[in-house]
Amino acid sequence: MIKSHNNVTSSSEALLQQMQSALPEELVQLIDQAKAHEKWPVARLISIFERHTEANLIARHQIINHLNQQPGQLNKTGMVLGITGTPGAGKSSLIGELCLSLLKNSTDISIAVLAIDPSSHVSGGALLGDRTRTLFPINDNRLFFRSQASQLDLGGMSKQTFHVTRLLRKLFDIIIIETVGIGQSEIEVQRLSDHTCLVMQPLAGDQVQFMKAGIMEVPDTFIINKCDEESLAKKSLHLLKSSLKLASIHLDHKESKPKEIFLTSATKRLGIDTLSDFVFSQAKEIVNQTFLQTQEDYFLVKSIKQEYGEFGFNVYTELSKQENKFQGTLEEKELQFAGEISKYIKKP
Amino acid sequence: MGEEKKPHHIYNKDDEVSQDRPWIFRTYAGHTNVWASNELYRSNLAKGQTGLSIAMDLPTQCGYSSDHDIAKPEIGKVGVPINSLDDMLILFDNIPLEEMNTSMTINGTSMWLLSLYIAMAEEQGVDISKLKGTTQNDLIKEYLARGTYIFPPEDSIRIIVDMYEYCLHNTPAWNASNICSYHLQEAGATPVQELAFALTTAITILDAIKERDCFNEEEFERCVGRISYFVNAGMRFVEELSKMRAFCEMWDEITTERYGVKNPKYRRFRYGVQVNSLGLTEEQPENNAWRILIETLGVTLSRKARCRALQLPAWNEALSLPRPWDQQWSLRLQQVMAYETDLLEYPDIFEGSVVIESKVKDLKEKAFAEINKIIEMGGGVEAIKSGYMKSALVSSQSERMTKLVKGEQIVVGKNKWTDGLESPLVKDSDGGIFMVDAEAAQRTIDALNNTRAKRDDSRVASALAELTSAANNGTNMMAASIECAKARVTTGEWSDTLREAFGEFRPPTGVEGQALSIESETLDTVRAKVQTFIDQYGYRPRMVVGKPGLDGHSNGAEMIAVAARHAGFDVIYFGIRLSASDIVQSALEENVDVIGISLLSGSHNEIIDQLFDELDKNKAKESIPVILGGIIPTPDFEALHQKGIKRIFTPKDYDLMVVMDQIMDVINDQKSQ
Repeated sequence: MIKSHNNVTSSSEALLQQMQSALPEELVQLIDQAKAHEKWPVARLISIFERHTEANLIARHQIINHLNQQPGQLNKTGMVLGITGTPGAGKSSLIGELCLSLLKNSTDISIAVLAIDPSSHVSGGALLGDRTRTLFPINDNRLFFRSQASQLDLGGMSKQTFHVTRLLRKLFDIIIIETVGIGQSEIEVQRLSDHTCLVMQPLAGDQVQFMKAGIMEVPDTFIINKCDEESLAKKSLHLLKSSLKLASIHLDHKESKPKEIFLTSATKRLGIDTLSDFVFSQAKEIVNQTFLQTQEDYFLVKSIKQEYGEFGFNVYTELSKQENKFQGTLEEKELQFAGEISKYIKKP
Repeated sequence: MGEEKKPHHIYNKDDEVSQDRPWIFRTYAGHTNVWASNELYRSNLAKGQTGLSIAMDLPTQCGYSSDHDIAKPEIGKVGVPINSLDDMLILFDNIPLEEMNTSMTINGTSMWLLSLYIAMAEEQGVDISKLKGTTQNDLIKEYLARGTYIFPPEDSIRIIVDMYEYCLHNTPAWNASNICSYHLQEAGATPVQELAFALTTAITILDAIKERDCFNEEEFERCVGRISYFVNAGMRFVEELSKMRAFCEMWDEITTERYGVKNPKYRRFRYGVQVNSLGLTEEQPENNAWRILIETLGVTLSRKARCRALQLPAWNEALSLPRPWDQQWSLRLQQVMAYETDLLEYPDIFEGSVVIESKVKDLKEKAFAEINKIIEMGGGVEAIKSGYMKSALVSSQSERMTKLVKGEQIVVGKNKWTDGLESPLVKDSDGGIFMVDAEAAQRTIDALNNTRAKRDDSRVASALAELTSAANNGTNMMAASIECAKARVTTGEWSDTLREAFGEFRPPTGVEGQALSIESETLDTVRAKVQTFIDQYGYRPRMVVGKPGLDGHSNGAEMIAVAARHAGFDVIYFGIRLSASDIVQSALEENVDVIGISLLSGSHNEIIDQLFDELDKNKAKESIPVILGGIIPTPDFEALHQKGIKRIFTPKDYDLMVVMDQIMDVINDQKSQ
């Protein structure tokens, strides 16, 4: 028996077996509705990918499997766009305007926004306030908005967020993940995003701080928001360019993926269409499957480390040298590993 | 000043001290439709009242015509609906404008209402330079506490400056705006915050006027002289009267030092008051009569800092809409105070009091420190956009609630001496809320359609085009706006045109990062229930909190959101001014366990119907429970429960953790179904 913070109490073999059973009819229906981007079905599927119970673990595997088996065009892989930045840079309003612009410029695009806010260290609860900044259109299924707590006590934000992106990639063209602040968890965002944007305020005097923290290397794209006046925008652009130069980050287009800088004002609706054209063009690029595999491996290792520590990690490294040792979905791999490591752990 | 005072001189009536005039007794009025309100005003005027204080309904305040979906539940509820100049002409029918002092509680659409008033005067052939009155027009406090803002802060300030510029030249006896600290106190402000934030607002406006450079020195002094205030007075009356003295001194210093105003007449702190309603209790409501009396002391005792106009709430405001008798009882208090006592016969009775002077000094120092801090941050507009002032208020409010729960702040009948005999006063009260019959609302909509049918559409189009171009090229918008009024543009059209030009603004909510320090057995119980829930279902209970409709009094919703996080919920806080569809869509997308909504405008019956219809359409009515908070009269409870509301919380439910415990029970009931 394994008792972990995932509330998994059954044996891993039993769970693996249950996973092989057919997808329940109500889930098939829910997936069909979610494919049409109906709000509540999408939301309920997301909950399955967020919640920590055995039933949800099994359902996650079954849903992913089902979605993977969809033929051709129906089997989509949406792009994940990570948007991070300092508090007060106006990310929520900018994302609001960006989404409205994307919707305006393309009739058949679908977008999901996942806005992440920190949980309280005291109560574990969270106040998720990103919805207040923009009122999105009602009953437009092309746009879906979801708030998520970083849930520090339940295994870290990135794992739960990663699970949700696995689902959303199968349902939407563009998945925008919004995180607050600049810190460890924001660097994590890069791990699950195909493209990362850093949103800054004009003339933020803390640019030097970013460089020290090595943050400037993280984003693929810089957005200076709140450029309400042209002179301010120009000045900020110059300052950012020289900061990047100091940090030896080059903007020239000889690099395989040159970094871009956008100047926007969400309140004055300036520069939004240029940004949305860029995001749209990024979304058209085919998502790198190797990147997805690396991502999954990263989160598998991360959760192993969280649950079993260095010892677990060493066991995993050793075992994965055997060819095809761990196979299938992330859930299967986790359980396969749980089965292996239980051999090393004394039963209570 | 400079006058030698005899050390032990006792003042008496024969001294050469002119008797002070009594302050103005005001009644804030307006309801149903323009016909009913006109009748009310005329009957008040016939009784000798010389001024009008006009209450507008929420759609008018928020810039929607009465036939807009979001307007329908609110037509005529908290004031009179005004859709066009035709409505205005009926509202003021047979009321001599040149003799009136008309005060309008209007903010987001203040320029529009002033334009209508001026257009009306011009159509009636009244000399507009004779017009006297006030448009409230304090948008900073709207972002912070009252919620009837429309445009972004910079554009709102620009509108205010346009109005000051226009008024000084054309309607010199009109107060273009009225700085309000009243609502700040209701939202939790401490006396220091009240002083600092209100004076910051005045500085923000005067700085913007200075920057435009549209006045010569003499005109600017007169303009400063037109700045007036609307203040609150709470139960700690010694501190409150010190606050009022601090206000007067600080305003004198600011206008002298920052703006170089030489004429002392234009440096005088002119203010009106409504005493605190927030502290009035639903429990043992008869005690509120004493509270109102004590709150009145703070703004009347000091002659040096006496209010110019006073509005008192009724003793039963926390229960329901006051009856005429209840309002009369409050009016009598003012009359007894002004005419039976000897208060007005004396000069300032606190001059030289060491205690009062040191209290005033302390308040001034702290308030100036706060003002300087905000100015260093970039001023009032920046402190709105960054959420600094709003967070400070939410934080003060959380502290206040915590003290109440812990019993550190005693409120008689609420958290101490709670057992008492039943009040015979309550028995006869109708306990109802103000009802507007459907016919009266329809009459408003018919009049709106009639105006649309008979107006010259090409004149409307060109007036609106002029307004757009003035908005975009930065010229004063008053002329274009007055032409819109004359062309029979509607309230919705005027507002939409400027929404298009300026955009709409949703300010920071201030709730993020707020923490409560409540620790109690109930909290332990709730957290234990939350933990059991997490163990069983693998996630934290999720709740969406928002305010549907146009009523912007968000304190209650904010406190519930902060409390829910304290209890261990994941709370999605959605803010104010939402449609029923907005709330339902958020509940579906977030897949919440419970919806929490708050309503204070009396439109709960209509809005709850809309909400359940919307949930039903999405087949979620049986799956997502709804709880309701706000000013909800007890007689409405049964019908609301029948509609499907699971719990109703009123100001009586001040222990936030008891509320959370009940919400947790609602969630568990739903889960076990």
